[in-house]
Amino acid sequence: MSPRSSRARNVFEPLEREAVAEIWNSRFAIPESVFSGYNFFRKARSIWAISDSQLPGLSYEAIGMRIMNCKDRPWKPTTCALQVFGPYAEKNTMHLQAASARLFMEGKTQEVDAVTAEQCESGYVVVFYRGDVLGCGLYSHGKLVSQIPKERRLPGKEGEDIS
Amino acid sequence: MDFLDRYREIVPDWEAFRAVQSRPLISTARINTLKIGRDVLLERLAEQGLDCRPFQWYPLGLKLDVDSPGKLLETLLGFIHIQEELSMVPPLLLDPQPGERILDLCASPGSKTTQISAMMENRGLVIANEPSLARVSALRSNCERLGAMNVAITRYDGRNFPRGLFHRVLVDAPCSAEGRERRGAGVIARGSCQRSLDLQALQIGLLKSALRLTVPGGVVVYSTCTYSPEENEMVVQAALDAVESSGGHLEKVKTPGLRECPGLEEWKATIFSPQMRFAARYYPHINDTGGFFVAKIVKS
Repeated sequence: MSPRSSRARNVFEPLEREAVAEIWNSRFAIPESVFSGYNFFRKARSIWAISDSQLPGLSYEAIGMRIMNCKDRPWKPTTCALQVFGPYAEKNTMHLQAASARLFMEGKTQEVDAVTAEQCESGYVVVFYRGDVLGCGLYSHGKLVSQIPKERRLPGKEGEDIS
Repeated sequence: MDFLDRYREIVPDWEAFRAVQSRPLISTARINTLKIGRDVLLERLAEQGLDCRPFQWYPLGLKLDVDSPGKLLETLLGFIHIQEELSMVPPLLLDPQPGERILDLCASPGSKTTQISAMMENRGLVIANEPSLARVSALRSNCERLGAMNVAITRYDGRNFPRGLFHRVLVDAPCSAEGRERRGAGVIARGSCQRSLDLQALQIGLLKSALRLTVPGGVVVYSTCTYSPEENEMVVQAALDAVESSGGHLEKVKTPGLRECPGLEEWKATIFSPQMRFAARYYPHINDTGGFFVAKIVKS
């Protein structure tokens, strides 16, 4: 397929950095300075981030990383974006123990206790294990639903430690 | 007798070369410094009792003797990337610097793209070009998993990439992949001189395009995973000779810790420029790897 025919689909519009930083700050309390080295674009209902540099005038299929999806409410962060920006989050973070981390990486839904979910409001949360961001989870009413994309999941093996 | 026999006169220690084809390769991986430090990663793997040994020649390369290395948590989280050992050579020769503008003309699945991005510490810009929509999804997925934030993907025919001047361009060309026989038998059986000649026209077009898109004094690296001189030395010679690519010279490929064989100075009735010996041929029995060819061109 020629780039000409794909051009119509690929409309990346630049976004104000402050606007994106503010959205992330309000959900995850990530300092705005974390976003200072990036430029942001919107294409359809997705928002993308790329390291700050001059982009030559080409027809693009992707510009950096897709960081969030605004199709539904609330907006949903991608797992790969949380692995980049999530380490700076100060709220809506959840730290799992080995067995629950394994379930999470298998893509399963599980119950979490009040202590684990202490910093979490209902909605999307940054899920950690041993200090590393595993990815995006959906938390509500004591339940955590893994949002790990299918191709990034661990194969299911009952009762095994993931460390 | 098979197709490889035509290389009998150019491959040193022919019997060992033939014998190694039937020995499978151990998996190899690259440590992704965009997400984790080398020492921390090695400690994590050791903790799990995994059999992993860093390469002698590249501290970020690992031999990883495990089942399904693609399903390790470290792979899923993007701390390591499963990548052929010699596939780590071209980015090192390209030597991208943070802040530069780089073009990877045949990018998918993105192993070299993401290695380039890591070498640039996510600063500057890598344009990863891949014409096939089916192959773009693997490229995107790898860039995202590995946290490569300075990569933009385009889908041009590499021979007609429209514009832009780049400090360095990588052409890891589509090839007959004879050097991958140890990964899956049957590659050789599909080879033929005609197939190599069909690919040659495409390869020359890609390399000429790369030279056109590079700043004077900039670097173009051309690589394949095949032995065929039709897809290697003949391509480099044709692109250097083409008027529109305005020329360049080969710089000697030397990777301390790996043993290269020099590029050919002649093949059948064709005589190449004497500088062709600066290109490198890697044979599987010499370093216990796959087979590979790489040339580094500095544009005039």
